[in-house]
Amino acid sequence: MITQRRLDRAAYILFIALILLAPLVLGDFWVNRIAKFLVFGIVAVAVSLCWGYGGILNLGQGLFFGAGAYMLAMSLKLASATSMQQGSDHPVPDFMLWNADPGAPTELCCINRGSFLWLPFQWQWFGVVMGILLPVLLAGGLGLVVFRKRIAGVFVSVITLALVLLVRLVVIDAQPLTNGFNGLTDLGTFHVAGFGFDPYARATYYLVAGFLILTLVGSRLLVETRAGLILQAIRDDQNRARYLGFDVPIYQLFFFTVSAAISGLAGMLYVIVAEFASPTFMDLSFSITMVVWAALGGRASLLGACIGAILINVIAASISETATFVEAWKAIIGVVFVLVVLYLPRGLAGFAQDFGERLERRFADSGKTTTPGVIPQAQVPRGQAP
Amino acid sequence: MFDVIFIGLSLGSILLLVALGLAITYGAMGVINMAHGEMVMVGAYTTVMGGLWLHIGFLASLPLAFVITGLLGWAIERIVVRRLYGRLLDTLLATWGVAILLQQAVRLEFGLSFFGIHIRGLGPGLQNVKVPAWMTGVVSIGGDQVNIYRLFIILVTAALTFVTWLLMFRSDIGIQVRAITRNPRMAAACGIDVQRINALTFAYGSGLAGVAGVMMSGFKTVFPDMGSAMVVDGFMVVVVGGVGSLLGSVLSAGLLGQVNGGVAAVTNDILARAVVFGLVILIIIIKPTGLFSFKGR
Amino acid sequence: MTVALTIDGIGVSFAGVKAVDNVSMLVHEGELRVLLGANGAGKTTLMDLISGKTRSTDGRVFLFETEITNWSPNRIARAGIGRKFQIPSVFRDFSVRGNLNVASCTDPRIRSNLGIGIPRTRRQRIEEVLELTGLAEFAETPAANLSHGQTQWLELGMLIVQNPKLLLLDEPTAGMTQNETHKTAEIIKGLRGQHTILVVEHDMAFVREIAEQITVMHLGRVLAEGSMTAIERNEAVRHAYLGSYGISAEAV
Repeated sequence: MITQRRLDRAAYILFIALILLAPLVLGDFWVNRIAKFLVFGIVAVAVSLCWGYGGILNLGQGLFFGAGAYMLAMSLKLASATSMQQGSDHPVPDFMLWNADPGAPTELCCINRGSFLWLPFQWQWFGVVMGILLPVLLAGGLGLVVFRKRIAGVFVSVITLALVLLVRLVVIDAQPLTNGFNGLTDLGTFHVAGFGFDPYARATYYLVAGFLILTLVGSRLLVETRAGLILQAIRDDQNRARYLGFDVPIYQLFFFTVSAAISGLAGMLYVIVAEFASPTFMDLSFSITMVVWAALGGRASLLGACIGAILINVIAASISETATFVEAWKAIIGVVFVLVVLYLPRGLAGFAQDFGERLERRFADSGKTTTPGVIPQAQVPRGQAP
Repeated sequence: MFDVIFIGLSLGSILLLVALGLAITYGAMGVINMAHGEMVMVGAYTTVMGGLWLHIGFLASLPLAFVITGLLGWAIERIVVRRLYGRLLDTLLATWGVAILLQQAVRLEFGLSFFGIHIRGLGPGLQNVKVPAWMTGVVSIGGDQVNIYRLFIILVTAALTFVTWLLMFRSDIGIQVRAITRNPRMAAACGIDVQRINALTFAYGSGLAGVAGVMMSGFKTVFPDMGSAMVVDGFMVVVVGGVGSLLGSVLSAGLLGQVNGGVAAVTNDILARAVVFGLVILIIIIKPTGLFSFKGR
Repeated sequence: MTVALTIDGIGVSFAGVKAVDNVSMLVHEGELRVLLGANGAGKTTLMDLISGKTRSTDGRVFLFETEITNWSPNRIARAGIGRKFQIPSVFRDFSVRGNLNVASCTDPRIRSNLGIGIPRTRRQRIEEVLELTGLAEFAETPAANLSHGQTQWLELGMLIVQNPKLLLLDEPTAGMTQNETHKTAEIIKGLRGQHTILVVEHDMAFVREIAEQITVMHLGRVLAEGSMTAIERNEAVRHAYLGSYGISAEAV
C-alpha cells in the first residue's frame, strides 16, 4: 500500500520534472510542437476525470474544447494586425469584409446581422472569461437535463456526440460570423500585462506546462476528496449511492462541468500555441481521438491518460516526416487501440500499476516480518469475482 | 409537395439501409459497431473494384458486396467483438480501432503502396461508379417526375427490411437470435450455439451494410473515409427508434428522413442535418428508450 | 414509547393490480420488526414505498414526526432510513474500508465534501462497524473479492455507519450458509435497541432467533400482527401462508 502510493507520487514528480526540463534540450520547433501535445495532455485529463472516475463517456469533449478555442480566437482575431487595417477605427475581421454585402457598413457593430456579438471580444479578457464560461454553461445546461433524467451510459455518449456535431454544423453554416469551414486564422498574439506570448517562445511553453501541472495536480486532489470518492462510488453503483443519500445527478453534473471547464481551458491554450481555431475541433474523429488517448494511457488514471496523449502525439510527430508513414501510423494506432481494449483495459497506467504491485510483493517477500494475516485476499473465496 | 416527401422518403430509406444492420448488431447483440460505416465503404469499393477488375455490373455487385462484407463482419466478430460482449462502451472503442484500420487498409492499398505497388480502384483518391443507363432516368408517377435511382433505393430498402423481418421473426435462426438478446446464458442452456449465432448475426448485419454501400456508390463519390459520417446517422436512427425494435428503426428512419428533406427544402443541407441532430437529442432526453419501443411492464 | 415509522393506509398498483393495498403499520423506536409473507405478498414493494424506490398512489409515510411520502430516495436516506437490498450491492472497486468511508460522508453536499480524508470521529465509528460486522481483518480487501456473506455484512455495515433512524433489511440472509445466517442474526441482535429495524425474511430459523414483533402480509394486505407465538397460533395465517403444516414446517 505504502509502496504503491510512493511510486505513484514519484511518477507525478518525474513527469512534472520532465516537462519542465524538456525545453532545455529541444529546439524552438519542437518546443512549439510539444506545447501542443501538452494541451492534448490537459484534454486527456478532462476525459479521464469524466470517464474514468465518473463513468460518463463524453463523445463530445471537442465541443467544450472548441468553445474555449473559438472564444479566445475571436479576441485574438480582433487583436491581429489585419483586423486593424480594414479602414475602420475599430478592428474588423478580414473575412467579414470579404463576405459583406456591397454597401454594408464596415463597422463591427453592423457589418452583418450577428457581427455585434463580436463587440465585447475587443477586450481579450472577455474572450478568456468566455472561454471557460461558455463550456461551463453548455455542460451545466446539458448535464442538468441529462443527469436529472437519469440518462446514463451510451445514451449520454450519443447525446454529447450529436450535440458536438450539431454545433459544428451551426458554426460552419454561420459563415459570415465564424468564417465557416476555414475557421479563424491569422490571429494576434496573446498578451498579459504587455507581455506577448509568441507561439514559438519558451514562455508560451511554460504557460501551457504550468496549466497542465495545475490541472493534473488539481484534478488529482479533486478525485481524492470525499466528493471524488463519492463520484467513483456512483460510477461503481449508482443505485447504492442514491440509497446512501447522495444526490447522484449533482455529483455527476459537478464533475462533468469541471471536465468541460478543463477542456475549455485546453482549447484556449491550443489557440495560443497553434494560432487558429477551426470546426475540425468539433469533428467526430477528434472527440473520439481524445478518448483513445485516455484509453491508451489508462482511463482511470489521470497521469496515465495525460502521458498517453503526449506519447501518442510525440511518436506520431516523430515519424510524420514521410507522408505515407502518417497514414501507416494511423493504421498502427487502430491496431494498438483494439489490442489495448481487448488485453489492457486499464491502459498503460494499469500495466505500470501491476508492475508496481509485483515490485511491492517482492519487497514484502524479502522482508521476513510478514505475518499470515497480511494478505487477506488469500483467505477469501474468489467465487464472487466476475 | 410530393417531391419534398419523395426526397424525404429516399433520404429515409438510405438512413434505414445503413441503420438496418446496426439495428441488428446493436439492438439484438448489444454491440456498438463503429466499423459499420466502414462496411458500407467496403461495399462501395466492391462495386468500384468489381467494375474495374471483374467487369461486373452494378446489380451483380449487390450480392458480391453482401458476401464480402458478411465475411469481413464474421471475422471481426470472431477476432474482436466476441471478447467484448456485455461491455457496451468497450465495443464502441474497439470497433473504432477496427474502423480506422479498414480505412487505412483501403487508403494504403493494403500496405502495398509502401512498395510502390498500386492497385487500381484503391488508394486515397475519389472513385466513381457508373450506374446502368436505365437507372439514371426519370419516371412519371401521378404526374410527378421521379428519379428512377431514388425509387430503386426505396424498393431495395423495403425488400431488405422485409427479408430481415422474416429472418428475425419468422425463422428458427431469428428465434435463437431473439432468445440470445433476452438472455444469452439461458439461451446457451437451452442448447443454442450462442457463439455461432452471434457470428452469423454479426455477419448478416455487416452484409446489409455492404449492400447499403453498393447503393450508396451509385450517387455518392467513394473514398476511404466515407463511412464515418454514416455510422453516426445509422446509430441515431436506431437509438431514436428504440433499441431492439425493427419497426422502430423503420419509423425513425422515415421520420428523420422527412425532417431532413423538409428542412433542407426551406433552408440548406447543413442546417437540415443540424436540425436532425437537435431532434435526436431532444428525443433521447424526453424518451431515452426510443420513440417506438414497445416494452411491457 | 415513541413511534419511529408510521405507515398510514399506503397503497400502489401496477397495471391495475394492487401490489400493496391500504397497509397501515406502526413501528416503535428501537423495535425489531419482521415482515413475513409468501412471494408476491408485497413485502419488498412495501420497502420500496418506504425507501422511495416506488411512488405510492395512496396513503402516507412518516419517519418520527416528518412526513416522507414520495420523497426522492436520496432524501429519504438522508432523513435517516437505510435500505439493504435483496441482491447485495456494494462499491466493488473499493476496499471494504473504502466502502465504509464513502458511506460515512453523511453530509450530501459537494461543498462540504471537498476535503481530503475522513474526520477522526467518523474513522472511529468505521472501526467500530468493522468490528461489529467481523470485517476488520478484511478492511483493505477489495469488495469485489468478498464472499457472498461478507458482501451482505459490508452492505449492512455501510448502513450502520450512517447511524440511520430506521434500517430496512430485505432478506439479509438470502443465499447464506447456516453459519453465516447465524452470524447475521448476531449482528442484527447487536443492533437491537440502538436502531429501529424492519426485516423481510423467509428463513424461519433466523426469524425465530431475532424476532420480537411480526407482521404477516398476504396479497398486498396486512394479515396479522403480533409476537411469534401469537402468529403461530393465528388461524388466518395458518390458512393463508403456512398451509396445514404449521410454521415450523417452513423452516425445513
